[in-house]
Amino acid sequence: MTRILLKNKLDDCIVTWRNAGYSVLAPVKRNEMGSFSEVQKASDMSLDLILPERTIKDRFFPQTEPMIRYKISKQQIDTETMTPPDTKSVCFGVRPCDAAGLEIDDPLFGWDYKDQYWFKRRNNSVIVTITCTASDDFCMCTSVKLSPESTKGSDVMLRPLSNGNGWQVETITERGKALFDSVSVHLSDEKAETAALAQVPVRFNVEQVMEWLANPTSFESQFWKDIALRCIGCGSCTFLCPTCHCFDIQDEGDTYNGIRRKNWDSCSFANFTMHTSGHNPRNTQSTRWRQRIMHKFNYYRGKFGVNSCSGCGRCTRQCPVDMGITETLQAISNLPR
Amino acid sequence: MIYNPFPMRVVSKRQEAPGVNTLKLEFVREEDHEFFRQNFKTGMFGLYGIYGEGESTFCVASPETRKEYIECTFRQSGRVTGTLANVDAGDIVTFRGPYGNRFPIEEFEGKNLLFIAGGIALPPTRSVIWSCLDQREKYREVTIVYGARTVADLVYKNELDDWKKRDDVRLVLTVDPGGETPDWQDHVGFVPTILEQAAPSPDNTIAVLCGPPIMIKFTLAALQRLGFSPENVYTTLENRMKCGVGKCGRCNVGSVYICKEGPVFTAAEVQAMPQADL
Repeated sequence: MTRILLKNKLDDCIVTWRNAGYSVLAPVKRNEMGSFSEVQKASDMSLDLILPERTIKDRFFPQTEPMIRYKISKQQIDTETMTPPDTKSVCFGVRPCDAAGLEIDDPLFGWDYKDQYWFKRRNNSVIVTITCTASDDFCMCTSVKLSPESTKGSDVMLRPLSNGNGWQVETITERGKALFDSVSVHLSDEKAETAALAQVPVRFNVEQVMEWLANPTSFESQFWKDIALRCIGCGSCTFLCPTCHCFDIQDEGDTYNGIRRKNWDSCSFANFTMHTSGHNPRNTQSTRWRQRIMHKFNYYRGKFGVNSCSGCGRCTRQCPVDMGITETLQAISNLPR
Repeated sequence: MIYNPFPMRVVSKRQEAPGVNTLKLEFVREEDHEFFRQNFKTGMFGLYGIYGEGESTFCVASPETRKEYIECTFRQSGRVTGTLANVDAGDIVTFRGPYGNRFPIEEFEGKNLLFIAGGIALPPTRSVIWSCLDQREKYREVTIVYGARTVADLVYKNELDDWKKRDDVRLVLTVDPGGETPDWQDHVGFVPTILEQAAPSPDNTIAVLCGPPIMIKFTLAALQRLGFSPENVYTTLENRMKCGVGKCGRCNVGSVYICKEGPVFTAAEVQAMPQADL
């Protein structure tokens, strides 16, 4: 026997969680853009999206993060440290790729110096993932050794029932178990069949990709110049990526009042690595694209033992020039060796 | 929080060269000073900032043997350095750090030291130089080769005079051809050329080399011709940084994060990096 959450009981769960102090976040489609937003009731959610355009990462590492408020007067400078709110949250309806992205980024934000902004939100959140029963031509989780039912980064896994009435509940962590124990009166114990998982084909051989990238001669290969010709350096792929974590620190305000912020930045941008002297180590779009691929499938792995890609496919799905990681990695797997 | 800087009070400002200033900073809070005293080693860097403008990365130019103050030397260039260049004594600026690794100067003990710097790269070298000169008895011969584009561009002119007068330091000064003044008594020529003419012995010698990428490239070749092995040559790499603590994702050369694994590397380590990413 397994526990079942019926769709018509989801509102009761939301009420219970909200009463316990959680804010409930779920995919919400607004103006053609799906993103994780706070919801009051089940009907606010857009759970039928294969994948919202924006990732759940946005809620942990926001596009702009206020860090220090400063006020400058003739006599002194007053500063106030700004921290994320104490609110606990339930992230409901996350896809396995997005949940995995959070776990992939944990070691980066935690090595040596701990980024409290990231970890405060991580510690205050429960990730409730729904397995994928549908996919599109861009999904590539299976190519990076994940799957429509991988539990990496999830506290709870929900498996859609084949009758479409609800989900089978599988708790992964203590935190997830506690969250669903708190709504156990709204769950039913019954035998029910779960829907078939999405069939996501393997689109490239990641082992071959990693092997080629690790070869020192690959760094200066002509391949990079050819593959990146179409890239316009807009940075969309990095902003939509569930694992991209690069940021800038900027003071925004006027002469006397303002806020020091951590803002998203992108390795695609020309001034990302520009020195004061004018020297720029990555001064062409192809060197920047190489950095992005190398970082995700070679450097990150060397530092943290995992590739910095969870296979969501957004970089390709939303690329304005129809490029993306998938095509590059397919081309690498097809290179003569 | 991780990105909160220490408030620092400006003690004094000294103009080194046109557009180049040194700030002497003191800690406002004793606990910050204590943290610095316990953690600072020569070679480490920091993010210097001013609220309303932002932060810039440069080295700590003062030695680990003198931790009462932090000195930093920078060229006025952008928004942050432009504002920092205009502070007055008593103003509050910020410091975040010290970050990164260090020159392992205790491993240099009992050896000859050769310092080579070009232009605005004397500040990081100066931190190591004074860290060693303040414990002079631990090291053997000390040679300093320093060059700048013009006589006016030489920084720490009063310290250059001090080093010139010392009989336990050999100072080789040079300016690029055309950069000399009528009364210039020292060398005229590029650093690699003058270095080869000065011909310091590679035997039992550690070289510390800092400068712009183009100077590093040619000076490394000169050092190799003089018989220095890349393991005995140290340098410091400076890339654009925002966080200083391995997260913001821009300072890497290949897989090496300059902010965490550097900024100090041996020439052998630098040669192992993908050269096109430098």
